[in-house]
Amino acid sequence: MAAASYERQRRRFTRAAIAPSLLFLLVVAGLPTVFLLVTSLTPGALVNPGSLTDFAEPLRNYRLLGSDERFVGSLWVQARLSLYTVVLQVLLGTGLALLVNSAEGRWQSLRNLFVIPMVLPPIVVAVIWKLIYTPDISPIYGAARALGFALPAMTTHVDFALAAIVLADTWEWAPFTFLMVLAALQTLPAEYVEAARMDGADAWRVFGHIVLPYIAPVLLVCTLFRLIDSIKAFPLIFLLTGGGPGSVTEVTNYYAYLVAFNFGELGYSSAITVVLLTVTVLISWAAMRVSRKQETTE
Amino acid sequence: MRTPGSVDLPRRRLLQAAAGSAALATGATLSFPAIAQAKPFQGLKLRGAAYQHGFFTILRKYIPEFEAQTGMTVDLQLSAFPVYNQQADLELSSGGSAWDFCNVTFILAARWVAAGLLANLDDFTGDRKLTPAAWNPDDFVKGAQLPYLDKAGKTYGYAWEGGAMLMGMSRTDLMKKRGVEAPRTFDELMKVAEAVHGQDGGAGPVSGFVSSNLHHWFLPPYVQGFGGDLFVDPPNNITPALDSAAAVQATDFYARLLSKYSPQGVLGYTEDQAKAALIGGRSNIFIHSSSWVTSMLTSPDSKVKDTARVMRMPAGPKGDFPAANSQGLGIPKNAKNKEAAWEFIKWTLSPELSARIVKDTGHPSICRRSVIESAEYKRINTINGQDIGKLYLEVLEQPGKTRNYMAYRTVKEFPLVGDVVNKAVERVVSGQGSAAEAMKTAQDAALASLRRSGAKV
Repeated sequence: MAAASYERQRRRFTRAAIAPSLLFLLVVAGLPTVFLLVTSLTPGALVNPGSLTDFAEPLRNYRLLGSDERFVGSLWVQARLSLYTVVLQVLLGTGLALLVNSAEGRWQSLRNLFVIPMVLPPIVVAVIWKLIYTPDISPIYGAARALGFALPAMTTHVDFALAAIVLADTWEWAPFTFLMVLAALQTLPAEYVEAARMDGADAWRVFGHIVLPYIAPVLLVCTLFRLIDSIKAFPLIFLLTGGGPGSVTEVTNYYAYLVAFNFGELGYSSAITVVLLTVTVLISWAAMRVSRKQETTE
Repeated sequence: MRTPGSVDLPRRRLLQAAAGSAALATGATLSFPAIAQAKPFQGLKLRGAAYQHGFFTILRKYIPEFEAQTGMTVDLQLSAFPVYNQQADLELSSGGSAWDFCNVTFILAARWVAAGLLANLDDFTGDRKLTPAAWNPDDFVKGAQLPYLDKAGKTYGYAWEGGAMLMGMSRTDLMKKRGVEAPRTFDELMKVAEAVHGQDGGAGPVSGFVSSNLHHWFLPPYVQGFGGDLFVDPPNNITPALDSAAAVQATDFYARLLSKYSPQGVLGYTEDQAKAALIGGRSNIFIHSSSWVTSMLTSPDSKVKDTARVMRMPAGPKGDFPAANSQGLGIPKNAKNKEAAWEFIKWTLSPELSARIVKDTGHPSICRRSVIESAEYKRINTINGQDIGKLYLEVLEQPGKTRNYMAYRTVKEFPLVGDVVNKAVERVVSGQGSAAEAMKTAQDAALASLRRSGAKV
């Protein structure tokens, strides 16, 4: 009886304690999301004040999305960008972590260098790569000219524009995987590796049978985090390519931005954003499920 | 302890003070109407917004004079161009009253005017108590005023800045060497670009042409020069006409200039990059608004002052349609202090202040004909023997003289079409398709976007 009463009190206290945070979250995150959802059901346009409260045809925007080639194209560009950046970042980050982990002494201090791109503001990263990719002023292009050959203008070339974004994004975010994997590697018990080596396993076997299974959960988390984050790619595209040439690098959130702020169609842009939000939530949900499953397995 | 005398003295002083106060009060009452007339807006805080532009930086130096004359204080908020446009779109469309006056952005003017978001300024100019005859609204160049008129001819803004598309040639020395004259037709333009492209300019090869990524600004004069337009009959019929023979021919022509005779990576060029290439002598021809190309003659960074020449842009086989635009000042429909706002606009764009600004700072892009045609303006804007003011006025007048060929740009749905035009040019220049294919795609995309936005096309 006393135990039950204590439990009830404890629960009440817990609810009271988290209530302010929940309320804050509701105001800060919940209300804008509700506003977004509501706006997506209207033909809302900046030049048409009454349109933001016009719910005569609530699903019109969503119906139009299916036949909007630019929107469908932007999803495809987004998928390619996410695939390339995530794969590259995970591979490169893991490779660097293995290198630094196996190195000794002063090489270990390299880890601080690798982290620099990740802590820079995204717009600074974009400016750095803008300088690198601009043929007039780029030292790389200057050096190539001096050596007698011409490099293509990466950001305006149809075959290289997306690669230019992938390269810059990988430079910025590979350190994330690097840090996570390095941290995991540093907790790997040395006796596992020693035992395998004593049994005659070469470096590849040690990696395949001991190191990789050990860091696999971290790699999975990195992949999912980077996947979610890749959907938010904006500053690099805004500054480096503007979605071009044509629509070669136009990802969905950049298209949503154009629709809202260049065309003034808030309703349609909100519908695009809701679709994007749904995709992100689904990926996040999958990430959390995988993460929980792993915790249970462990 | 008080003596009788000590009581008398303050009493006398009190009486004197009372008499003095009464006299002052009477005088003050009598003189109040005079003060009220001199400073009718005493204590009022006037709020306005515009985008960052050299004109407003200059204007700010003169504003204390206005404040002293009227008694009001002016709070002028300046933001970057895209930021201002977003703020203004939201502020005006939501019926806000935060601003008493605002910049009426050229590309958004038709939207705002058509949606009734601005106050009719004819109510102010038509009232002699509010506007003296000498202010003369007809003095504004008609071509610059067109965006601020509604269908009935009512005025919703007055132009403070004009833009006139001119052609800047930075390397006439190389042109002479190659035996080519300044181009006056589209064909000649292509020939000159070809002749100069790749020539050694001293610090490396020179490109024959340069442009920036605002293709929806640069392409239309070619489309119109070949006999087309972006819409069927703007602003009355806004069905896009992007796949017309003229539009395809123009896109092919302009894309050739970019892909064959422009610097590598030109598709990513901003206006500043293009200007830098021009004034550095790395690119020969840049066709853009006057302030961008005349920097060859005026900028301290220019390396081509001796070889630079500014001209009208070449004409097409079907006519001469150099782009012209302007920026205006207007009053939001729900502004709280409309009369005070008009007082400010009237003062800012008065012939006297415009002439003073030209004289004091050399600022050339004003829209009052009487000032542009003045001897002082001509003296200041004749550079290296080239009368830039004359060219500027010719182009600014052009849409008012012939037909309003700039109407395409004041269509409220223009941003949608401008965006697909940009994409089309990029596709052609980057080799993703021919001009015909790209413009067909652009036409379909423009139609779909316009229908989505509710336009009847």
